[in-house]
Amino acid sequence: MKKVKEEISDREAVAACLQGNTQMYRHIVDRYKERAYYLALMYTKNREDALDLSQEAFYRAYRALKDFDASRPFYSWFYRILKNLCINFVNHRKRLVRLDDTFQYEASNPEDHPEEIFERNERAEMVWKGLNELNEKDREIIIMKDFNDFSYQEIAEALNIPIGSVMSRLYYARKRLMSKIDEMSGGL
Amino acid sequence: MKCEEAKILMMGYLDGELSPEQKKALEEHLQECAHCREEWEKFSQLKKETEEMKFRPLPEMYWDEYWQNVYNRIERGIGWIFVSIGAIVLLGIGAWDLLRDFFLNPREPLIEKVGVGFLILGIIIVFVSVLREKLMIRKVDKYRRIVR
Repeated sequence: MKKVKEEISDREAVAACLQGNTQMYRHIVDRYKERAYYLALMYTKNREDALDLSQEAFYRAYRALKDFDASRPFYSWFYRILKNLCINFVNHRKRLVRLDDTFQYEASNPEDHPEEIFERNERAEMVWKGLNELNEKDREIIIMKDFNDFSYQEIAEALNIPIGSVMSRLYYARKRLMSKIDEMSGGL
Repeated sequence: MKCEEAKILMMGYLDGELSPEQKKALEEHLQECAHCREEWEKFSQLKKETEEMKFRPLPEMYWDEYWQNVYNRIERGIGWIFVSIGAIVLLGIGAWDLLRDFFLNPREPLIEKVGVGFLILGIIIVFVSVLREKLMIRKVDKYRRIVR
């Protein structure tokens, strides 16, 4: 039974969902739930919100399935929905931090404490801090490739850029990350 | 191969996205160019470090109920659409009846119309305000899933 479940492609599952078979959506959710959750976690930096946002993204993707082009990778399309949700969430939280000083200490420091996200590792903490100091574009492409298992094709589809640009953007992003880490290592 | 091209191809090599020909060309360049080789070693080290960063695993119970939570949202979404349509139809009919039989009825005293009008307006304002507050609290309450 499990084997049959794995063989159903995204395209078949989407087609079935569009015909009203909601249960078929489970194939898609099961396939991508871990990637979706860990991606949301990179933004929200806490488990509860990452679960909530990733599940909400699956729900919104279901509602918008008729707009999905089945000839393209599902996760690249889904990624845009999830990313928008996460960015809105983070911006909303930042606004609350500005409004509420008592919340400030707790909410402004999760970048310094990756233990909610990663297993304890000193070097990982440095990489995490460096990552959080990058601009949004650099940070995004590194997260996609190194922490969310995107293929270059998926990145190209999600960001709407050619594959050659994926490589060059990754090159400059990683180079800037290395500089940040070097700065921090030098400061120790 | 020029260094500029080699630098970009290094990414593809690191991520396993190069064709055998591209790999070979890059390897040849790295053997010849010490500067690119040094950069390649740094990138390899960074890749190794990011690979070693392991996400904290989510307890299995969350994965077990993951699909059910998504499904509940889908089901409730459909339910809410029906509820909304029904409510709009019934409220429309109710409002029309109220307008026709009460507010436009010359036999009803004006003072009663003013009173009912304020009452309805007040209920709407309170309802909207409470709803907005609940939604705001729901969005920011980190402990909403904790059973008290």
